[in-house]
Amino acid sequence: MAKKVVALIKLAIPAGKANPAPPIGPALGQHGVNIMAFCKEYNAKTSDKAGLIVPVEISVFEDRSFTFILKTPPASVLIKKAAKIEKGSGEPQKVKVGSITRAQLKEIAEMKMPDLNANDVEAAMNIIEGTARNMGVTVSD
Amino acid sequence: MANTWWEIQVTCSPVLEDTIFWRFENWNGRGTASERWGQKSLIKAYFPQQQFCNVDLAALALRFQQDALCLGVSELPGVTWSLIEEEDWAKSWKKYWQPRPVGDRLLINPAWMELPKDTSRVVLKLDPGTAFGTGTHPTTQLCLESLEMRLSDPSAAALTLADIGCGSGILSIGAMLLGAQKVYAVDTDPLAVKAAAENRDLNGIAPEHIQIAEGSIEGLMVSEPVDGILCNILAEVIVELIPHFNSIAKESTWGILSGVLLEQSKWVADTLEEHNWTVATLWRRGDWCCLNIRRP
Repeated sequence: MAKKVVALIKLAIPAGKANPAPPIGPALGQHGVNIMAFCKEYNAKTSDKAGLIVPVEISVFEDRSFTFILKTPPASVLIKKAAKIEKGSGEPQKVKVGSITRAQLKEIAEMKMPDLNANDVEAAMNIIEGTARNMGVTVSD
Repeated sequence: MANTWWEIQVTCSPVLEDTIFWRFENWNGRGTASERWGQKSLIKAYFPQQQFCNVDLAALALRFQQDALCLGVSELPGVTWSLIEEEDWAKSWKKYWQPRPVGDRLLINPAWMELPKDTSRVVLKLDPGTAFGTGTHPTTQLCLESLEMRLSDPSAAALTLADIGCGSGILSIGAMLLGAQKVYAVDTDPLAVKAAAENRDLNGIAPEHIQIAEGSIEGLMVSEPVDGILCNILAEVIVELIPHFNSIAKESTWGILSGVLLEQSKWVADTLEEHNWTVATLWRRGDWCCLNIRRP
């Protein structure tokens, strides 16, 4: 019989650098997950992606064992990479810090599709464009 | 003294998740944890207490609400924050940690639990703190089982070992309890060095029998080649260490290497062969493997 999942937790953390400090400790500790075991496995599977944020979705079972799958980086990380900027704008309405093309927007939307609550690529593009706007990044045609 | 952290909780539409992550990242956040609550996301982020005051957090909450409006999300995010003590979660998972037999001879017993009265196994008392090595991970178990095999031979009693990346000290202590004569242990993490020393003392092993230092292979205080090398870290680190194994090895030296995913085993084995080592056996558990190595 399949084990019952008691919690589904998503962590957005730097690749290869998981440790028991927040957010991992409090998020997994409250479910009785062996934190060091998770950290070791996550670091092993993401060490080749150093410098990137690699989200992970962890299924915690009733016996406190766990499995996880790696997800796509957050849209903000992909937008910064595409726009070649270090940080977003503190005042996105007034100060624009960069721009991406519509083709890049579509590429990011397609990459994020599996993780977004969107019915089609157009809807995913709208979500990503909104995130870019909030970061002070414009989309050019 | 334990650190105190702000725990910021944001309940919002999943559409806002990436934007909220970005806001936290801009605040030098260390990542986020999120869970789905029905149709909503509950996102949590953590910051040291001294980094922000209540006014900063109120401003951040306003930012989230502005972001929702910009994205056309009608339901504004709910934002709350509170202080939590670091110890809360450092201990929380430990209460589920039970004594665990490993291999045929060892029993890993959490330091805070009473010793079992009815066991014929050799008891290894352990408090990992924040260091790696609790005995529950397949790689640690494979290393301890390999050690048991290596040290089962009575002629192995006088062996001297090196434990590179000792973490909680579990392999060094396990080796001593199984009959090794001396272990030189190193770890680059000062907290691991502290935990390993505490665990050594907890098991009544004299400091001269497990010598622990901060550093990597060059930090080992060996005066002559060792009989065995223990290394349970990660494949990337092991591959970097392999060329340096010869500096502490002789012809009869063997090694137990783990922290290697099965898919990485060929890469590690190829690197070993380039440096005059061979894989004698490969043990597998789940996605992980343990390489028992020796000279060709």
